[in-house]
Amino acid sequence: MRVWLTPVVWIASLCALAAWLPTMTPLFSWVQPGTDNLIYNRDSFYVLLQSHIWLVLASATIGTLVAVSAGIFATRPAGRDFLPLVSQIASIGQTVPPVALLALAVPVMGFGEKPTLFALVLYGLLPILRNTLTGLNGINPAVLESAKGMGMSSAQVLLKVELPLAGRVILAGIRTSVTINIATAAIGSTIGARTLGDPVIAGLVNGNTAYVLQGAILIGLLALATDSLFEAIERTWARAFAV
Amino acid sequence: MLPNRVLSNRVLSNRVVLALALAAFGCVWLLNLGVVQPNRIVTGTGYGLYAATGWLGAGIVSSLLLVVVVLATRPVHKRYEVLAALLTVALMTLPLLLEVFALHKLPTDSAYARIGIGAGFWCLAFFLALILLETLGQLRASRRFQLSTVLLIVAGWWLCASREGLSSLSLIREYTNRADQFAQALAVHLSLSLSAVAISAVLAFALALAMVRRERMRRPLLGLVSFMQTIPSLALFGLLIAPLGALSAAFPFLQALGIRGIGWAPALLALIAYSLLPMVRNTYVALIEVPESVVDAGRGMGMSERQIFMQVKLPLALPVIIEGVRITTIQAIGLTAVAALIGAGGFGTFIFQGLGQAAMDLVLLGALPTVFLALAADAILSALKFKEASR
Repeated sequence: MRVWLTPVVWIASLCALAAWLPTMTPLFSWVQPGTDNLIYNRDSFYVLLQSHIWLVLASATIGTLVAVSAGIFATRPAGRDFLPLVSQIASIGQTVPPVALLALAVPVMGFGEKPTLFALVLYGLLPILRNTLTGLNGINPAVLESAKGMGMSSAQVLLKVELPLAGRVILAGIRTSVTINIATAAIGSTIGARTLGDPVIAGLVNGNTAYVLQGAILIGLLALATDSLFEAIERTWARAFAV
Repeated sequence: MLPNRVLSNRVLSNRVVLALALAAFGCVWLLNLGVVQPNRIVTGTGYGLYAATGWLGAGIVSSLLLVVVVLATRPVHKRYEVLAALLTVALMTLPLLLEVFALHKLPTDSAYARIGIGAGFWCLAFFLALILLETLGQLRASRRFQLSTVLLIVAGWWLCASREGLSSLSLIREYTNRADQFAQALAVHLSLSLSAVAISAVLAFALALAMVRRERMRRPLLGLVSFMQTIPSLALFGLLIAPLGALSAAFPFLQALGIRGIGWAPALLALIAYSLLPMVRNTYVALIEVPESVVDAGRGMGMSERQIFMQVKLPLALPVIIEGVRITTIQAIGLTAVAALIGAGGFGTFIFQGLGQAAMDLVLLGALPTVFLALAADAILSALKFKEASR
């Protein structure tokens, strides 16, 4: 249970700060003297936080579903032909900078949440896909043989042997993907998605360091909270499937 | 019966190429090949393949894909060689489609009219590139062969882009309007990301050596650098503005150096912070994993510790260290684009300017070179890694 303490503390401080930042005017008037607009007020921090989390969560869910199914398909006998191409796409695709992908989504889909979500899904599924392939291909063939020898059907082998064994690697891929997507979603503010990047961008445009700080602190906390959450999940997973 | 059928199926048809060719066929006929815009901001009218290039263009593209399908499904002699040659030529000359489009549809009476690239064109290029990738994989082409193919295609696009016929392409118009700024953005982008990589390489080497010498330092150091990697770029750039601004205000000599809350200074600092994790991790792992037996052999030959390090450990560790440099460089090139938000310059300037003005081709002018730089860095450093590894 102790592994869950750190994420709980991070999440609590994230929520607390999102609530208390608007009351910290003295601090921000010290950072940004000579202006009355000290607290970002176009949206409440909670709304931004919620929308940011929603974007990342939706992209992670869709990305995981697509990537894991593609990974499973490419490692079955029916899809083996596609394996070299799929793994090359996963590795070459990760060379493309996420910002560039975000920017390229705009000419195709316009401004707003939709292109942001599209870019997040597309970029986010690459690390998951790569890790799914690594995880499924890395299983000792003898284990699969003995599972078949026990009379398991190929669906049973997949669900009861392969996916649990590859799970840790896949989970690590999801963690990488979510870390990248939290950062990319923040930049999504520049293409019209409502995220915690809004105060930062607004502050940069208007030369208001107080806004920048408020956004940056919350984005940083969100990233750290999520990362520690994954750390806890990975530890729990490792304990559950310890060999 | 069953294994035999599967085997013969494998020999006969390549389902990957078939699927990709059909996808390309669907995209190129269903999506807009190009767009005619009255000026740089207004959304233009889209034209499909047939409307854009007439029977000739549509016929050439369709028959190319048909030939690919035939080659994928029939046991033609040396079909992968034929496919590779065909696709290389097709990809090299692909921009000519846009030239034909401009010739057909560009209004001659307006100086501001321009043509834009449609989703159909991008999809066609993308799927053709994937088919080529698969074909090269089937041929087990050497890295040198693959690289020369890519260079041929890039040269083809370069030649097409410099032709008079494509001067009305909005991407090229945006470029010609800002050729000076483009060169400057390239210089800034490269110097920022490469200096961040160079500085962090030196720092990471020192840190990794310290970790090798003192095991105790490993956990806190790795913890610190991976902590920094977790902070999203926009947040780190934002967090550096206030302290650097305060420092610069307090110390005039820093201001004289150009160190301010915004600009290259916070960008470089953040880039170095991000570069440390892959560099430190790879350098440390590379140095630690040199087999003890090799080191012992060196000692047995009477080498000093210094000689062992310089002549045994370092050369063996080099491929893994270069892999760290590769990851770092790609990452730094992408992050430098974000750094344009805090006024650091580079190709990100075009991206965010274009987004601000809703000028999509300005966005492309920033995003495409960023992607290209990242891919080029990947190609160069992977080649270097393989060269070192095979020595």
